[in-house]
Amino acid sequence: MLASISSSVLRGVDGVPVTVEVHVAGGLPAFTVVGLPDTACREARDRVRAAILSSGLRWPQQRITVNLAPSGLPKAGSGLDLPMAIGVLVASGLLERERVDDVAFLGELGLDGAVRSVAGTVPLVDALAPSTVVVAPTCQAEAAVLGRHRVRAALTLAAVVAALEGTAEWMPCPAPVGGVEGPSSWEVGDLSEVRGQPLARRAIEVAAAGGHHLLLVGPPGAGKTMLAQRLVGLLPPLDPSVALETTKVHSAAGERLPAGGLISRAPFRAPHHGSSMAALVGGGSSWLRPGEISLASGGVLFLDELAEFAPAVLDALRQPLEEGRIRLARAHGAVSFPARFLLVAASNPCPCGNAGTPQLCRCSEAARRRYRRRLSAPLLDRFDLRLGVQRPDVDRLTGQGAEEGSEAVANRVSVAREIARRRGVGANSDLSGALLDRHAALDPSGRALLADALRQHRLTARGVDRVRRVARTLADLSGEVGPLLRDEHLSVALYLRAEPEALLGAES
Amino acid sequence: MQLGDEPLNELPGTGSAPSRARFGGNPPDVDLHAACVVALLALPGMGPARLERLLTWCGSGERAWHQVTAGAPAPVVGAPGRQGSSSNLAARWREAATGVDPVARWKAHRSEGVDVLVKGKVGYPDRLVDDPEPPHVLFGRGDLGLLGRPAVALVGTRRATPYGLVLARKWGAALASSGVAVVSGLAAGIDAAAHQGTLDAGAGPGFTVAPIAVVGTGLDVVYPASSRALWRRVADTGLILSEAPLGTKPEPWRFPARNRIIAALADVVVVIESHERGGSLSTAEEAAARDRMVLAVPGSVHSPASAGTHRLIAEGAGIAVGVDDVLSALGSRRPVPLPEREGRPGHAGSARGRASAVDPDEQVVLDALGWEPTVLDDLVHRTGWPIEVVCTVLDRLRRRNLVTQDGLWLTQRGDSAEP
Ligand SMILES: [Zn+2]
Repeated sequence: MLASISSSVLRGVDGVPVTVEVHVAGGLPAFTVVGLPDTACREARDRVRAAILSSGLRWPQQRITVNLAPSGLPKAGSGLDLPMAIGVLVASGLLERERVDDVAFLGELGLDGAVRSVAGTVPLVDALAPSTVVVAPTCQAEAAVLGRHRVRAALTLAAVVAALEGTAEWMPCPAPVGGVEGPSSWEVGDLSEVRGQPLARRAIEVAAAGGHHLLLVGPPGAGKTMLAQRLVGLLPPLDPSVALETTKVHSAAGERLPAGGLISRAPFRAPHHGSSMAALVGGGSSWLRPGEISLASGGVLFLDELAEFAPAVLDALRQPLEEGRIRLARAHGAVSFPARFLLVAASNPCPCGNAGTPQLCRCSEAARRRYRRRLSAPLLDRFDLRLGVQRPDVDRLTGQGAEEGSEAVANRVSVAREIARRRGVGANSDLSGALLDRHAALDPSGRALLADALRQHRLTARGVDRVRRVARTLADLSGEVGPLLRDEHLSVALYLRAEPEALLGAES
Repeated sequence: MQLGDEPLNELPGTGSAPSRARFGGNPPDVDLHAACVVALLALPGMGPARLERLLTWCGSGERAWHQVTAGAPAPVVGAPGRQGSSSNLAARWREAATGVDPVARWKAHRSEGVDVLVKGKVGYPDRLVDDPEPPHVLFGRGDLGLLGRPAVALVGTRRATPYGLVLARKWGAALASSGVAVVSGLAAGIDAAAHQGTLDAGAGPGFTVAPIAVVGTGLDVVYPASSRALWRRVADTGLILSEAPLGTKPEPWRFPARNRIIAALADVVVVIESHERGGSLSTAEEAAARDRMVLAVPGSVHSPASAGTHRLIAEGAGIAVGVDDVLSALGSRRPVPLPEREGRPGHAGSARGRASAVDPDEQVVLDALGWEPTVLDDLVHRTGWPIEVVCTVLDRLRRRNLVTQDGLWLTQRGDSAEP
């Protein structure tokens, strides 16, 4: 007898529908899985057999062949355990075929028959055609995020079978919560706590509004991490499409999703500089897990101690910074993950951290040069905003009124984002070519200002367009609607984009 | 006292007890002498020296007051030709004194919470007892007990640089928490910053001593107006003193006169910043005349606001580069007499020469920049201006090479102008 059960597997962060075909026939007892299964998938044979037996069900002493279709697609992971077990039961006549009509199954099985969760439930469910999906109880909320399927769950294989036959109830499904989740203002802190650093405050507002990558250079204790966290709090809630994409990435990576299932607030990821290449950009031997840069998609990727990251990792950032996706070459073709993040990086100006303050640095000239060389010119060039930060003087911290809080600034940011959307880009950092010329035009005075900056080596030719984009964002934030950039905005943009030499010293 | 008799006869209702009639009852708690001195001080042109002569000549406050109300052209009004003839001034005094009741005046001060400290009476500050030019009367509002503390005067120019302001603030705070009363003049600039520092330290935890201010106007006339909040805080927590009665408006001569009291009340006088001919130099001179130790704070040789302090150092003042220097000077109280400064012509500040090339906005940024390397955040903070404005003005200055940048540090160029 033949059974066909619907399920899906992950390819990158997307689900691909898979039909689990089980054929049971006479002959010597055997259990074969074909159709490009990986190791975890082949081991399913043992788990499925044990789970069926420990559920008090009968294992057919016949020749069982499982085909995973389409057969050209490599299958990874253990999420096909449950559909295989159900397929065996149907094909051997232990479960009526009509019970599994229009039902898909996702789940790993324990040897004791427990139904376990699988990573990537959101994209996996997204790929399923049937109207009902059976998952592990822990995956219920995730499976319900899309809202297109009836989600069923049971603790064990026996309970699944009983519920399918109508002799037992499914686990009660938690009410789907359309909650707003992500880093709360409590976690990331309020902007009003950033005092005595007016330039840094402005820089993170501009970064949030224009999607401009930001580099902060300063000694330890200058509040670089604090600034990066406050920046996430300024980003608007994710667009529904971005929210779903980000949720899929987190789901596929096996990250815990928020209570409501959907990630609707900008994520904040701060990987340590010791993290492996695979952890940062994605990878893994059998199962391709999205890396931190994909988990940060839609939000902020914060790289503290930028110069301490392996050069290969920093090199690997360049392509996603350019394209908004990371491509990973595999034996069976390339996969790509979304990686559209706002990069916020922090660095000490030198190994001891004090090079920004004359007379305080204890590093040798050679040590400083070595440190400086770790940050390549092409990488530094990616940052529209490059800012030196200091520990604020006590004098700047005291006195004066309260600083503006996150909420007020976030409102300006979302207006600026809306203006950018009307120009046809996600943010001003995407403005280029004709669009840039149309929306960030230079008058003679602005041209003279930039020419002056070029002459004084405060700006390189490559940086001109970046300064124009930042000036556009500054203008948008100040309510300036005309296409011509004003001198004051160009002037501030220049101060917000210090040349690397000013921040880190000369390159050689 | 012969001279006193004639005018008294002219008063209505005079007789054997003129003073009783004139002073309306003379309640027991009123010090008649003090009341008359207070009234005399309110007369136009009545400075400490003139008052001193008048009182010496007449013997008591009451008699001096009668002289004045009678319009007697007494020798006390000074040599003819200075500030009008003597009879002229006498007439003005008489006019000003007409209808004035000294006792009511005195009571008015008391009811305003103003203490009247009279020379020779209990409560008069010890440090003034042997002073060469002691005020006859001192008006005070606040904690008189502060006068018993070791005291350091932090003084300096009103046109201070950020360098001086930050220093004044920090040292004010540090001295206050070391048990020292900080004496200053509540003027804008260094004086205000020093007191701000002491008050800020007082707002924190731990023991601090409140400041003493000596002002040149009546205690109810806030000058400059920008000091109003500070003035009130000093009066609330510390002590404000003045030689002038309530209602006295600011007059140019009163501020140098006030400086001698600052010098007299302090054990050590520290000049933080002073221009070539700054008023705080007069405080230093008064201090030297009273054997008070004078310390000066060195600054940049480019900074006109340090020209005066550098001259003090050249002339023998001690150098203060930290609060420890001040405290150890306080410990030793080793007076360092200053040589005479007469006959040494000052040279005009060279930095002023380019002032004409700089517009007011640019001057504000240059002032905020001071003479030490500074980051943009500091400029934004010090000017209180939006970043756009600071950057624009800064770019204008950079284009003319008046400001240069090294790394993140902006520096004012003291010398040339055009590139
Ligand atoms: Zn160093």
